Amino acid sequence: MTTRSIRNRGASMPEHRDKITGWLLSLPALLLLILVFAYPIGRALWLSLFTRNLGTKLEPIFSGLDNYVRMMGDGRFWQSCWTTTVFTSISVCLELLLGLGIALVLNRSFRGRNLVRTIAILPWALPTALIGLAWTWIFNDQFGVVNDILLRLGLIKTGINWLGEPTLAMVSVIFADIWKTTSFISILLLAGLQSISSDLYEAHAIDGATPWQSFRQITLPLLMPQILIALLFRFAQAFGIFDLITVMTGGGPGGATEVVSLYVYATLMRYLDFGYGAALVVVTFLLLIAAVAIAAFLLSKSRIQTSG
Amino acid sequence: MLYNQPPDRQQKFSLWRKGLVIVLCCGIGLWAWAAFSQQPVTLSLLMTTPDAQPWKQGLIADFEQQHPHIRLNLLEGPNSADLVENLYTSSFILGDSPYDLVNMDVVWTSKFAAAGWLRDLSSQITSAETAAFSPRDIDAGRYEGKLYRIPIRSDLGMLYYREDLIKAAGLKPPTTFAETIAIAQTLKKAGKIDWGYVWQGRQYEGLVAMFAEVLQGFGGFWVKPNTLEVGLDRPETLKAIAFLHDTIKMGVSPPGVTTYQEEEARRLFQGGRVAFMRSWPYAWPKGNESDSPIKGKFAIKAMVGSPGNSGGACLGGWGLGIATSSQHPKEAWEVIKYFTSEAVQRKLILEAGYVPSRKALFTDPQIVAKYPHYPKLLEVSKNAVLRPPIAQYAQVSDILQRYLSSAITDRLSPDRAMQAAANETRQLLGRGVKG
Repeated sequence: MTTRSIRNRGASMPEHRDKITGWLLSLPALLLLILVFAYPIGRALWLSLFTRNLGTKLEPIFSGLDNYVRMMGDGRFWQSCWTTTVFTSISVCLELLLGLGIALVLNRSFRGRNLVRTIAILPWALPTALIGLAWTWIFNDQFGVVNDILLRLGLIKTGINWLGEPTLAMVSVIFADIWKTTSFISILLLAGLQSISSDLYEAHAIDGATPWQSFRQITLPLLMPQILIALLFRFAQAFGIFDLITVMTGGGPGGATEVVSLYVYATLMRYLDFGYGAALVVVTFLLLIAAVAIAAFLLSKSRIQTSG
Repeated sequence: MLYNQPPDRQQKFSLWRKGLVIVLCCGIGLWAWAAFSQQPVTLSLLMTTPDAQPWKQGLIADFEQQHPHIRLNLLEGPNSADLVENLYTSSFILGDSPYDLVNMDVVWTSKFAAAGWLRDLSSQITSAETAAFSPRDIDAGRYEGKLYRIPIRSDLGMLYYREDLIKAAGLKPPTTFAETIAIAQTLKKAGKIDWGYVWQGRQYEGLVAMFAEVLQGFGGFWVKPNTLEVGLDRPETLKAIAFLHDTIKMGVSPPGVTTYQEEEARRLFQGGRVAFMRSWPYAWPKGNESDSPIKGKFAIKAMVGSPGNSGGACLGGWGLGIATSSQHPKEAWEVIKYFTSEAVQRKLILEAGYVPSRKALFTDPQIVAKYPHYPKLLEVSKNAVLRPPIAQYAQVSDILQRYLSSAITDRLSPDRAMQAAANETRQLLGRGVKG
């Protein structure tokens, strides 16, 4: 009886203590998160309830939900939300497909593999603003390399105005983004591929599986965690795309490539409309959270299906 | 006794030493007090790194020598003017700004003044003194009747043309938009050029700067600063858009002109196969570099107009203001007086090729000897047109940029685009007034 109770107490005490230690150990990280995430968002939420712009001489005046009402009728905001969604989904999907392909190639052993791996990550290591500048000239209608190649191949008769047509401008910007960030995804996926034991493939092959079957039944399910991480990373990053588009099109032509971050930036830093800018930030943040949650939910479901 | 002597001497010696220490301490204290009371005031000023270079070529040293009680701390910011604006903006928003002086582009002045970040300089300068500057440069520094910015250097949009080709074809430089298109087509037919006219068509500030000139040339207006009347849906505006549209449709301008900033246009023009270009004065020295294919073959003139309307020259340029948060406005004013003075402007112009903000310098013998085209610039400056000096300029400009870009890239018909632009601008300005 006594021994049992002592043992019981002995079992529960460390557990309890472990919990406290665990909380204590994660406290600094939690505090940091609150400081860099919760505080700014909370402050933006608070600021969004005020009108604070040049009209009020930058003094905050409480105006309730006025900013949100104004946002409902702000076509430019919803247009930029849509543009951001299109940009994000197309570029992330293509990057994932290409990145997976590159990772599979880099996972094979061939001569000069290390060199190729290093080269593959170069675009990601370059500053985005520089890349944007380079692509602006590559897509230039008179001097651009793209038009030059197409003209030489005889595919077109006159230079295409890549950055001057709304759809083509979007295509160009997405192309540049894919060029830059595919390597990031492929490096992440390559790490995942290397953690898959080759025994699995050998056993599977002995059972008579084709390479395609091995890919679907071994590679994809075991790679799912990395794919998920890569997707979430890229999704959040692409949703906040700023530098590349600023340099390449400045949001033009006619606002066709204006993404949310460009609009928020202009509202806050150039128009000095802090209350409304804060409201834009809050709504964009909520939209992003919702989108990531939905994406993560769908992916986790598909993961259960493939592995189960 | 014999033994007493040394201590006695020691004592004497140490007394003497003590006295010396006290005197020294007092001396140092006095000197420190004197030095402290004369400690020079340090003033901070931020500008783009390229802009800062000519200041550092002896001018700051010269200023500090003339004003021993002032030290000027020139901070070199990013190369892009937008980023420098951001730095100023965030430092003023956060309060406790480190900058005493503000180096401003024309289009920031009203916003900064409306935000209460600048000191009123009206009482510091007499009207006789301001009369020495180009009137538009001074106007650009005014907001609601008060003066906030003294111009250091000006900038003007104008027409570059290939003098050699036009002369060889027996033609005269154009004075109207229609003539410009006609000459371009003649030269293109003769195979002398690939393109007639390049301008800035990308959706950015340069687009509306260029458009302000064309609008003036057709007798239209954008926003009247006093009445806040908006002229974007008037027939003159549509004529101005029609001209730009025509240049592309008629093959006078390359289709990609709607993606060009200054550099894209300049490179094309400097390549030697373009007849006309709209640009700022910076393109002149570049076009006359020794390896330039168009060296000595081009000239400048004021932007063309339409019958009955002379063309406009969009005013750019930089000037100095004093931050409200500065503890040393008196000393800051000394800096402004020095750097906007005629002698220093002359030095800056000779050093860096700036456009003068003082009228007399356009025809200054020393300057003309180095830049023979400056008297021409004086003519151009007479047509200077201001982008609306209103607090919400950044928004007003963005509205026009978006809709104008839509109109010239055929996303919207010019009619509908300008109707929408005018409505949005009116709504914005109406909201601003209600506050």
